[in-house]
Amino acid sequence: MADQQAWGSCNMASKRAAKLVAIGVIVAGTLVAESKKEYHFSVGPRAGVSVMNPYGSISVKPSLNNTVVVNAFLHSDKVEVDNNQNGNRVDIQSHLLAGADADSGRVDYEVLVPADASVTLHSNTGSLHAEKLHGDVSLEGPGAAVDVRDVSDAHVHVKTMNGAVNLDNIQNGHVEVDSLSGDVTLRGVTGPLVQVVSTSGRINYIGDFGNGGEYRLTSHSGDIEATIPEWTSADVSARSVRGEVHDDIPLQPKNHTWFPLDKGRAFAGTMGRVAVSSTVVLRTFSGKIHLRKRSEKQ
Amino acid sequence: MNCVELQQSLAEVEEGNSTEQRAHLRACPACSALVKDLSLIVAEARELQAADEPSPRVWNSIETALRREGLIRSPRAARPPVSSFGTRWGTARWLVPAAAMLLLALGIHMRQQSVPNQFARQASVTVPVANASDLNDDDLLQEVADIAPELKTQYEENLRRVNESIRDAQGVVDESPNDEDARRSLMDAYQQKSMLFEMAMDRSLQ
Repeated sequence: MADQQAWGSCNMASKRAAKLVAIGVIVAGTLVAESKKEYHFSVGPRAGVSVMNPYGSISVKPSLNNTVVVNAFLHSDKVEVDNNQNGNRVDIQSHLLAGADADSGRVDYEVLVPADASVTLHSNTGSLHAEKLHGDVSLEGPGAAVDVRDVSDAHVHVKTMNGAVNLDNIQNGHVEVDSLSGDVTLRGVTGPLVQVVSTSGRINYIGDFGNGGEYRLTSHSGDIEATIPEWTSADVSARSVRGEVHDDIPLQPKNHTWFPLDKGRAFAGTMGRVAVSSTVVLRTFSGKIHLRKRSEKQ
Repeated sequence: MNCVELQQSLAEVEEGNSTEQRAHLRACPACSALVKDLSLIVAEARELQAADEPSPRVWNSIETALRREGLIRSPRAARPPVSSFGTRWGTARWLVPAAAMLLLALGIHMRQQSVPNQFARQASVTVPVANASDLNDDDLLQEVADIAPELKTQYEENLRRVNESIRDAQGVVDESPNDEDARRSLMDAYQQKSMLFEMAMDRSLQ
């Protein structure tokens, strides 16, 4: 009996030791496989920075001087980082080696660029983030979730297939978003042109439509909701071919429109001061359109 | 003779113009400008002829290098190892790039001409990507499956949705050809499909 107990405790101890060894091997293997690489580039004003990354996230923030700093976190040795500077242009590309897949080929980038740099980011699956810049920003990726905030006086172009798009506080922007099925949220986005085209994604605009810009939000089957303060100045037209439209804000009706103003399917009118009013076009084929008045809490 | 007939006849005429062509060119400033541009291209191309002809030393050097590398064995005394395109075709060799440029210019010009004609004929929509509907969806999905299999399902689903949107918008355009919104919807739908293909073929996938 005593022998059996001794054997049992000995067996448990060796099992525990084996587990610890296995965990140690996994941790050590992970530490060896994951690595960080850092690159520095000196650039002049209005530099161009491009990061192409098949798998993984890219985050771009402003640097304090005319330097581009790239921190790359590689998830395995099946991927390398190619970097190239040509004058005022920096190109970074994840280079997948044989056998790499979405996990082992993943690289996460944290990039600092001069605030006036033009940035092009591309990822298939990771998130794309850019903030506090005033150079042009172009972000693209089939499954990439996109987040852009605090950008001014710049072109912001986004193309995604099903990634969600969030644009926050874009001032005086030339904004173009193309998304097939991802939801698009614009909060405080103004500029001469703000255009969103989606196939089935929902579009949500929260803001005041600026002064004198053109705002065109279109989704084939997704709903469109615009939440605006009562003092907004805009010339609004909304139409859903097969869906419904709702309008919480009284508009001065227009006499002439070039589409039929079927009740419940379309409305058109102006609000606020005509001299500074923006043109707002909301269109969907089978989705719903809702023009809401912003409450004080929002 | 109208503009299209003149442009079609240009490729068949080497020098000068027929009476009909001359009459049309006198009356049509656009065609006249086009012909003037094409004549300039051909004239400039002739000027390039002498400047770009490599000296015999170049051919000799190539021959020597190839022999040293063991790539050629029997020397040719009279002619360079690589037969000269210029020697064989004489001045006519410049007709090839000139013809290519001519066809290119003609294509651009005819495309510009054809767009207003289409609008004049009917009020139906002209889609921005003329061949988008001809793109082969199966090929696209196969390409994605080969390059990035983990994205295939997403592409499949989005392709289905965008094809639906094209059908929906096309239906409304057929019902109401003068509906500007419907036309724009159809254009947007084609652009979205075009974007899907662009993404699939994008370099980041490869």
